[in-house]
Amino acid sequence: MENILEIKNLCKKYDNFELKNVTFNLPKGMIMGFIGENGAGKTTTIKAILNIIKSNHEELKIFGLDNCKDEEKIKEEIGVVLDDMFFPEILTPNDINNIMKSIYKTWDSKMFNNYLKKFSLLSNNQIKTFSKGMRKKLEIITALSHHPKLLILDEPTSGLDPIARTEIINIFQNFIENGDCSILFSTHITTDLEHIADYITFINNGKIILSKPTNELLDNYGIVKCTEKEFKNINKKDYIKYQKTKYEYEILIENKKDFKTKYDISIIDKITLDDLMVLMIKGEE
Amino acid sequence: MIGFIKKDIAMIKSNFKLLGILFIAFTIMGLFGKMDISFILAFMSVMIMISTFSYDNYNKWDAYALTLPNSRKNNVKSKYITTILMILIVSIITIILSFIISYINVKTINYEQIFISMLDTIFGTLLVLSFMYPIIYKFGIEKARIGIFFIVFLLVAIGGFLSQYLDLSLITKLLLSIENYLALILIILSIIIVYVSYKISERIFNKKEF
Repeated sequence: MENILEIKNLCKKYDNFELKNVTFNLPKGMIMGFIGENGAGKTTTIKAILNIIKSNHEELKIFGLDNCKDEEKIKEEIGVVLDDMFFPEILTPNDINNIMKSIYKTWDSKMFNNYLKKFSLLSNNQIKTFSKGMRKKLEIITALSHHPKLLILDEPTSGLDPIARTEIINIFQNFIENGDCSILFSTHITTDLEHIADYITFINNGKIILSKPTNELLDNYGIVKCTEKEFKNINKKDYIKYQKTKYEYEILIENKKDFKTKYDISIIDKITLDDLMVLMIKGEE
Repeated sequence: MIGFIKKDIAMIKSNFKLLGILFIAFTIMGLFGKMDISFILAFMSVMIMISTFSYDNYNKWDAYALTLPNSRKNNVKSKYITTILMILIVSIITIILSFIISYINVKTINYEQIFISMLDTIFGTLLVLSFMYPIIYKFGIEKARIGIFFIVFLLVAIGGFLSQYLDLSLITKLLLSIENYLALILIILSIIIVYVSYKISERIFNKKEF
C-alpha cells in the first residue's frame, strides 16, 4: 500500500522533553488517530512533520517527497489545523478567502463560501466574535478549501461540545470519501477515533509505543479481569501491562484468541482506546 | 507573498476608523497649533506596524503561516513590503494635508520645505522600524516592546549627555556641506538600512522555531 506520510527515526531534543526515534507510516486514503496524553509529544511530532521546528530524522517524507527540500510543493497539498494557531482574530472569513486566493494555487472560494453557509459562519464578522466551536469550524474549512490530499490536525475537537464534535467528524468522513485523501488526527479524546480512524498510533513520553490498524487493535487486544491467584499463574510474556484495582487485576493482552487457548479465564473484555491508553501509561509491566 | 501582504493590509483596514480619527485630530492640531504635520507619519507608521505584530503574536500567526506554501521566504519579505507601502500611502496623505494646512495658515505653499521635512521623517521612520524589526523577530513583540523603549531611552540619555561635552558645530558643518545632496543621501541611506535590516530579520526568521 502506498504511504502518504513516512516517518523514520524522528528525534527532537528539548531541555525537559525528547522525541525518541519516532517511526510510523500513514497509508494513502486512511485516517490515522495519533493519540497520547497531554505532553506526550503529539504536537512536537506534528510540528516536526510540518518543518515548523527543526528535527533530526532518517526519513521524513510526505507524498514521497522530502519535507524540507520539497516543502513548498508539499504545503500546496496539505491542509493543517493547529491547536490555537490561526489568522489574527480581527480578520473576517471574507478576509481569509481573499488572502488564501493569493496563497494557494488551488484555493476554491466557492467551496469555502458554501462551507461558511453550511456552518452558519457569518462571512463579514470578525473571528473574535466567534465561539470556540465556530472558530474551530472556520479553521477546518480553511484547511479543506484548497482540495488538500492530506489533512494534519492537531487536537481539532478539543474543547468542543458533542454536537460540534460530531459535525466536525462528519466533515472529515466526507473528506476522505474519494479514497485519495488521508488524515493524521491527533487527539486525547479517543472516543472520536473509534468510529473513524483506520489506524491508531500511540505516543507516550516521546516514544511511539504502538501503530496499528484500529480493527486489529480493537479485535485482538483485550482486558482480562481476574483474581490475584489467577494473575500469578499467567506468564509475563502473555500480557503487556497490568493494574491492580480494588477487587481484581486488569491485564492488557495483545491477542485474545491465543490467551483463551492458554488460560482458563472467562472474563476478557473488549478494549476501548481509553482503556488502552490508561493501561499502557499507568499499568505495570 | 501577495497573500501575506493582503493579510497585513486587511488587519490595518480593520483599524481604519481609529486611524481616520487620529488623522483628523492631528490635522486639526496642525491647523491651530502650527505643528509640523509630518510628525503624524512617523507616529502612525510605527504604531500601525507594531499593532500588526501584536495581532500576529496574539493568534500565533507566524507558526500557522509556516504551514502554508512559501512561508519562510515570504513572511518577513511581505512585512517589509507592507511597511514601505504603508509609509508611501501615509506620506501621500500627509503631503496633501500639509499643503492644505500650509495654504490655510499662510496662504502659500512652501513645496521645498514640505518635501524636505517629509523626506526627513520618512528616513527617520524607516530607521526606527529597520532597527525594531530584527529585535521583534528575535525576541517577540512583547519583549521587544520593553527592549525598544529601554534602548530609545538609553540613546536619548547618552545623546543628551554627550551633547553637553561634544562640539556639535562639526556635525552642523557636515550637514550644511552636504545640504545640496541631502535628499539623495537620505534615499540611498534608507535603501541600505532597510535592506540590511531585512536580511538580518530574514536570517533570524529562518532559524526560528515555534
